[in-house]
Amino acid sequence: MLAEIAGLSDEVWTAAGGLTVGQFRTQVTEKYPAMRDKKFKIAVNQKISEDFVPIEAPAEIALLPPFAGG
Amino acid sequence: MEKKHKKVFVQGPISPDFVARSIASHQSKTGIGAHAIFLGQIRADQKEGGAVTGIDYTAYEEMAEQAFHDIREAAFARFELSCMHIYHSLGLVPTGEISLFVFVSSPHRRAAFEASEYIVEEIKSKVPIFGKELVGEAGHVWKENT
Repeated sequence: MLAEIAGLSDEVWTAAGGLTVGQFRTQVTEKYPAMRDKKFKIAVNQKISEDFVPIEAPAEIALLPPFAGG
Repeated sequence: MEKKHKKVFVQGPISPDFVARSIASHQSKTGIGAHAIFLGQIRADQKEGGAVTGIDYTAYEEMAEQAFHDIREAAFARFELSCMHIYHSLGLVPTGEISLFVFVSSPHRRAAFEASEYIVEEIKSKVPIFGKELVGEAGHVWKENT
């Protein structure tokens, strides 16, 4: 869903130190405005993380749309 | 440290024959008194543009496998279980076919019933699996668990 908006499934994100998950979300939606009205959680190193959590580089960050297993 | 996970994901639908063989393979485990099986089947929901013809599943696989592992551990800790198997489809599963197979076995029925419900609810809320519902001729809608 989000990969369709971005047109790619992986991307290297370069940012200043001390970036939080919330700030990262803002940067992503600035780059891809169509994601603004999509619901997604953010996982840092495969752990779903709240907006206040700082991201320690290098990290694997994933945008996770609503789950649909089952 | 690399963790060993039981294989959960299968490509495409889960066949009734596979389910039958799984049941048969437990006949030698004579401590079991109750199996509970949950099967998730693809529904032909009506959407704008037509009926759902299938779901194309993808997953954030590494995180999903860890999540399945955690669910397994939690279920074994919480319920009196002899054994547990979870299978989930990736890729296309047509309407009417099976995409989720949860199979728990216990000496007694209560634990089997309760564990199967617990496991299915945990999978729906905690495992990063995504489903693109294919609609009509060419459209699609992304599925969302509620």
